[in-house]
Amino acid sequence: MSDRPTPNHRARWSVLLRHGPSLALLFIIALFALLDWQFGSGRFFSSRNAGVIVNSAALVAVPALGMTMIIIAGGIDLSAGTALTLCGTVMAIAFRDYTIPADQAGAATWIALALALGLGVGILCGLINGLIISLSEMVPFIVTLGTMTIFLGVGQVLAEESTVYPQNTHLPDWLRYLCYTGSNTDYYWFSFLPIPSSALIAIVLGIAVALLMHFTVFGRNIVAIGSNPLTARLCGIRVGLTTTWVYALAGVFVGLGALLYFANVKNGNPSDGTGKELEIIAAVVLGGGSLSGGRGSILGTIVGALIIKTISSGCTMLSIPNTYTHIIIGVIIIIAVLIDGLRNGKPKWLFARLASG
Amino acid sequence: MKRAANCLLLFTSAMLAATLLSGCKPSSTSHTGSDTVRLAVIPKGTSHEFWKSVHFGAQKAATEIGDVEIIWRGPVVESDTGSQIEVVKDMITMGVDGIVLAPNQKGGLVDAVDEAIGEDIPVVIFDSGLDDGPKIVSYVATNNFKGGQMAGDAMAKAIGEKGNVILLRYLAGSESTEQREEGFLDAIAKYPDITVVSSDEYAGDNATKAKEKADQLIQLHGETLDGMFAVCEPNANGTLEAIKNAGMAGKIKLIAFDPSDALIKALRDGHCHGIVLQDPVQMGYLSVISLVDSINGKSIPEFQSTGEYLATQDNMDGEPIKQLLKPELME
Repeated sequence: MSDRPTPNHRARWSVLLRHGPSLALLFIIALFALLDWQFGSGRFFSSRNAGVIVNSAALVAVPALGMTMIIIAGGIDLSAGTALTLCGTVMAIAFRDYTIPADQAGAATWIALALALGLGVGILCGLINGLIISLSEMVPFIVTLGTMTIFLGVGQVLAEESTVYPQNTHLPDWLRYLCYTGSNTDYYWFSFLPIPSSALIAIVLGIAVALLMHFTVFGRNIVAIGSNPLTARLCGIRVGLTTTWVYALAGVFVGLGALLYFANVKNGNPSDGTGKELEIIAAVVLGGGSLSGGRGSILGTIVGALIIKTISSGCTMLSIPNTYTHIIIGVIIIIAVLIDGLRNGKPKWLFARLASG
Repeated sequence: MKRAANCLLLFTSAMLAATLLSGCKPSSTSHTGSDTVRLAVIPKGTSHEFWKSVHFGAQKAATEIGDVEIIWRGPVVESDTGSQIEVVKDMITMGVDGIVLAPNQKGGLVDAVDEAIGEDIPVVIFDSGLDDGPKIVSYVATNNFKGGQMAGDAMAKAIGEKGNVILLRYLAGSESTEQREEGFLDAIAKYPDITVVSSDEYAGDNATKAKEKADQLIQLHGETLDGMFAVCEPNANGTLEAIKNAGMAGKIKLIAFDPSDALIKALRDGHCHGIVLQDPVQMGYLSVISLVDSINGKSIPEFQSTGEYLATQDNMDGEPIKQLLKPELME
């Protein structure tokens, strides 16, 4: 055994690091299961809790799918949180003023229109971000910092600085029970498979985005732009156009995320969105996404969302105060990025010392 | 694609293992002993002193009854409905024997409460109402309409039963404060010589916004104005500042709802002429007592008031007002 890593060593390490997020998730699940079994109620490691966690994770994971594409393309979207609650608010207004009771004939059309409206607002928000970024060539961080408060403000104007309550009778049952995690199997999409519908939606969308990223020219172009925009341009990729598309497409996922959010809380409150973008970005980063672009993984992002929600659920089960939950999640994010850096030869001083010594 | 498949396999097998193992697990793994009643108490947030007093009351009830464990858990993100729903679901997972909940929004928590009741966990709602639907044990709260009426009567007394007054509202859609506003208008209507010159302005949820709104209203009605009623604490703090800035302290009579240090001082100095008080300690206490009684098969009234009191300059140093102005806190 020599001190210097042999190629064989390196290969072994890189396998470990490649599965980093998933292994971390397994480790965290095992850790909390053990602690909860010893000191808690022993209910952490249960099928019910698995359902609750995948449901909360789906609420983060769906908008995070769009964020993953943006981050792979070398961008960032700070407006995702407020754009999401803006869509939710629009849906709530539609279900308050412009729909008919769900059990009346023809209600399905109105429901579809209300949801399409919310989705449309999401796409519009993404399109605005994309157009400003690609036309003005400003830094995405600043542009979306601006649109973040714009979307918040627009939402507050629409909601008259309050919370919008839809008419409960106007909501169809499938929407009401999208985030249901109880034991009544009638409320799930497949009564033999008691997995929250929100999680099924997230899985289907995740597979779709993974296919898009791996097997289409568009997906390859996104990676190329994120790795090196100048080279991408020289290769004939229309960087501005592709960037605009990426943000608009991310808007679709913000809109779908808003659908889940609305199904969960059943009202629209524009200010709920502040802070959600950080949770979304954290999921991407935990999953191995690099804020310098070119790298990120759809599966990683979903695992990242699961990690965040597993920790918060585990802390609740163990009666660890919320204040410490925040600290634990923060520490784990930093450790995750640190480990990810090791894979790319960072920090440089450490590797320089290893090589020389 | 291969590594993605690998990871997916890993994850699915873990989740499957979780499902299978939990199925085999005997339900008696609880380490707290079978005769301890475990109750989750879920406030809207944890940082405000009001909730710390509720916690004190809940713990007091638990200690009195004995063999009751209080699990105190607020939403991870303060006042966030989604976050509160997560906590309710986690508590159902933990298999608590009952839940005491102050819903963040009357509509948003309905299905979470339904889910708890569906798993045979009884629920007591406190402080703010829940939309109709779930069969809750009881609703324990201040009678806000009556509190509003007391504020109206206190206002009438302060201004000598005649003059112009303003009602500064809180936010549209907030049930508890709307009740106070209606109660106030109901009481004022009994006095023919009192005119409500403004009752359609919303002060918003923080003191800064409330001060701006109050500034504008004082500008508008200035010299002819005799009294203002602010329906909640941040609202009253902002209004107090606006009245002081305009140099009208003591001239415009202020009636507030819920105390703060600034309002208590103003009450002593004669800048505030009445504070309607709630009893958060009693709220926590009565909620836990009701839940345990219900678990033991007693029938509980649908609505239970925890009382409302008026603090004035004259009674602020006597009991029970002195205690209610500075209720005990759980540290």
